[in-house]
Amino acid sequence: MEMMTVKIKRFDGRNSYYQKYEVPYEKGKTILWLLTTIREEQDPTLNFTSACRHAICGSCAVQINGNAFLACNTPLDDVLDTYKTMNLTFEPLKNFEVIKDLVIVWEPKMEKMTKVKPWIIPGEEGSKEIGFLQSEEDFQQIAAPTDCILCGVCASECNQLAVNQDGYLEPFILNKAYRYIVDTRDGAPEQHLKPVLENDLWKCLHCMQCVSQCPKTIPLTDQIAFLRSATMAMGELDNQGAKHAYAFHDDVKNKGRLNETMLPIKTDGLVQTALTKIPFALRMVKKGKINPLHMPKQISGIQEVRKLYEYAEEVKS
Amino acid sequence: MLKFDVVVVGAGGAGMMAALSASEKNNLKVAVLSKIFPTRSHTGAAQGGINAAMGYRDSTDSPEKHFRDTVKGSDFLADQDAVEFFTSGMPDMISELDYYGVPFSRDEKGQVAQRPFGGASSPRTCYSADKTGHVILHALYEQCLKNHVQFLNEWFLLSLVVEDGKFEGLVAMDIRDGKIHPIQAKSVVIASGGFGRIYWSRTTNAINMTGDGTAACFEAGIPLKDPEFIQFHPTGLAQTGVLLSEACRGEGGYLINKDGERFMARYAPEKMELGPRDLVSRSIETEIKEGRGFGEGMTSYVLMDLRHLGEKKIMERLPQVRELALEFEGVDLIKEPVPIRPSCHYTMGGIHVSDYKTCSTPIEGIHAAGECCSVSIHGANRLGGNSVADVVFFGKYAGLGAKESAMRRSFGRTEKLEQEANAWKTKFKTIREKTTGVSMFSIRNRLAETMWNYVGIFRTESEMAQALATVDELIEEYKDAYAGDASVKYNMAFINYVEIGNILKLARAVAMGALNRRESRGSHSRGDYPTRNDEQFLKHTLIYKDGENYRLEYAPVTITNYQPEERKY
Ligand SMILES: Cc1cc2nc3c(=O)[nH]c(=O)nc-3n(C[C@H](O)[C@H](O)[C@H](O)COP(=O)(O)OP(=O)(O)OC[C@H]3O[C@@H](n4cnc5c(N)ncnc54)[C@H](O)[C@@H]3O)c2cc1C
Ligand code: SF4
Ligand code: SF4
Ligand code: FES
Repeated sequence: MEMMTVKIKRFDGRNSYYQKYEVPYEKGKTILWLLTTIREEQDPTLNFTSACRHAICGSCAVQINGNAFLACNTPLDDVLDTYKTMNLTFEPLKNFEVIKDLVIVWEPKMEKMTKVKPWIIPGEEGSKEIGFLQSEEDFQQIAAPTDCILCGVCASECNQLAVNQDGYLEPFILNKAYRYIVDTRDGAPEQHLKPVLENDLWKCLHCMQCVSQCPKTIPLTDQIAFLRSATMAMGELDNQGAKHAYAFHDDVKNKGRLNETMLPIKTDGLVQTALTKIPFALRMVKKGKINPLHMPKQISGIQEVRKLYEYAEEVKS
Repeated sequence: MLKFDVVVVGAGGAGMMAALSASEKNNLKVAVLSKIFPTRSHTGAAQGGINAAMGYRDSTDSPEKHFRDTVKGSDFLADQDAVEFFTSGMPDMISELDYYGVPFSRDEKGQVAQRPFGGASSPRTCYSADKTGHVILHALYEQCLKNHVQFLNEWFLLSLVVEDGKFEGLVAMDIRDGKIHPIQAKSVVIASGGFGRIYWSRTTNAINMTGDGTAACFEAGIPLKDPEFIQFHPTGLAQTGVLLSEACRGEGGYLINKDGERFMARYAPEKMELGPRDLVSRSIETEIKEGRGFGEGMTSYVLMDLRHLGEKKIMERLPQVRELALEFEGVDLIKEPVPIRPSCHYTMGGIHVSDYKTCSTPIEGIHAAGECCSVSIHGANRLGGNSVADVVFFGKYAGLGAKESAMRRSFGRTEKLEQEANAWKTKFKTIREKTTGVSMFSIRNRLAETMWNYVGIFRTESEMAQALATVDELIEEYKDAYAGDASVKYNMAFINYVEIGNILKLARAVAMGALNRRESRGSHSRGDYPTRNDEQFLKHTLIYKDGENYRLEYAPVTITNYQPEERKY
């Protein structure tokens, strides 16, 4: 019988160590099956979390050989095949506080998420009694981002977060902000956007790790590009903001990646604009009513702004 | 000692709705206790939708029609006053959810979209693509964050403390540090979800659906209402029980036995695979029972074959089904058939709610909402899309009821609470220190097998009597169960141990209710009593627990508008 060697990082609240288990290989199983089998047949002290076992509750994400996966919908055969090995190493998600073995704590992340006001700020058109009207197209805008199951895979994979836990927002938090910024029922998108701007939005490294591992294939980097182009839209309305945004652009252009020392964005003018003008501009961009490449000529420094938009478009595509 | 005005046990749809309404516009101290992080709750698994007669898609629809469909669906066992209250309040509930940010799919007018669903005479199921429960759960969680609802996450309800028929508080464990706390409260809402895990691997339910709150109420003296009514879904994946959408039958999938036959020809020669859910479920189990299935015991199965539809059609019409089979069963439907078997899907019965407007129970201060309880609006059979509706609607009224209770009542005494907490501390210590005994997983698996084979889809007197005897033996064995983890912090083995104790208690009540209901009604289908018997059994089962003994009583069904008639579709 073919055996797999499974090394699991254990943590009892004080000490951490790796423990080895030998498990007979079976075809057509999931990673969650593997963990459950170890727990029920070899070691009941092993802890991990799972509930729905069909990729909807978000509890079961773990790292395998250095990458984050949802345990319940990841076929064991795929993993063995990808890493070309019968040796697997399990660790808890990166960038989370660990409580025991593979179990992580979510409350601090939710606390952090409250920065972006992760709830609807209902617009005036709606009421508790009659709800809202929303077009099918507008619903489509929020269809993908509301697929997020808060599994934490993106946060574990995020390279910016790894070096900037306090400053940067977890990709799923950016997703949540985005989700309400583009929700036509929301009456105050600037309140979700402002904190995004204030929390190192421009530090995203475009490494695409979050998107490539997200079990719900949420277009996280497209969203980040959108949020950035929202910053651009602000530039259109406020030269101060544009200059700052442009500085980042320059940095990206020269060095390929953002220069840490340039960041974070801190311009009162920028935030001020975000608060007042952005909701309108945002929706216009989103609905395709403002084509970022066809700017009114009167605005001074338009050439610079235009370059920014070209960059934003590039990022988007 | 921890002290709250209202404690809500459970952070699914029912629990969070209850917490929101209990804490709205007042100074009550409310806490929500959940054994898993709120957004992990099983409400998130609901795909299809939530029923409300908005009349958007079909202007002739009305709460009255929804009322009639629900009563008919329940095989006339639902309490009609409660159903009417529910169906007439649901349209407002949808608007409220819309206002909370739930991303509903929309129709061409921008209104909440509605789709047809089984047992509904009009298309009234509101939805958000195939993730309705998920988006409702997340929106409610967001509202709780906004309103600063206090959560005690990864806290486990162990038991309720009742003195002289009145609620005084509860005992719970903080799983993370292993501390056991007595908690004083004026009222409680139990919203701990269903107990499909009495069938362990043969359920679509999440692994933690062990009915802890239902068992705690049962233990505290509240009867279980209609526990024998359990809904099964014909197409669960064989290994895990995960639900495979009805669409695969709808699109023309074949059900095949070991001999390569399309066996539905035997049971429904005209409709074949498109026969009603319960008939298809029974047919599959008959094939397996008569030796024409694949595999053995709990891992037996038949095949669902879609290959004749061709790659193009499968990719176009059933991409999610294909993905599911690929991920969870390791099978590509384009090339191979997928192993399936029926799966327990929903528990209609549960904590006896005696007043539907406040969701109160016979014990003052204890309220209940959601799948853990029985109001009863589902009677003998729940309609698809009526559960998430039930959960949010009655969650809200349970929260309001608990708020009223808390304002009316004062804190009780603490002696019994302390005693109960100490008893649990001792038990925790004993189980941690135990180094030998019967494997708890083995008890759990044997329980599931017994329940599946003898109190499952098919039921007969002799088999159920046998099952009851086996459950009793397992309850005996459980006294010597071995969990295997000595640690204090995050001891999930101990939690599993308590959960297994709970499903044993509940399974016994299911078997007892089923054995005594000598008729077939809704989901309860007996080989030896194949027809409905209104004369003797148009009544609710109530099972009480007096110490080790279970006592069975019956209570009348409330009938207002609709007299029982034969249920034909
Ligand atoms: C696969 C699937 C699909 C479904 N699809 C639909 C559908 O389309 N439409 C529909 O109407 N219904 C559907 N249902 C049914 C519906 O989802 C459930 O009945 C409903 O969501 C139950 O909600 P609840 O709030 O009662 O409990 P749950 O959402 O299950 O929440 C239970 C809560 O209780 C907590 N809890 C439990 N025990 C304890 C304890 N000991 N201590 C502390 N906390 C505890 C848990 O942590 C959890 O937060 C579906 C069910 C399944 C399984
Ligand atoms: S693309 Fe940006 S958000 Fe995504 S993982 Fe990389 S740095 Fe993080
Ligand atoms: S965005 Fe994707 S990876 Fe990140 S938490 Fe949500 S579902 Fe998980
Ligand atoms: S167990 Fe729910 S997402 Fe994996």
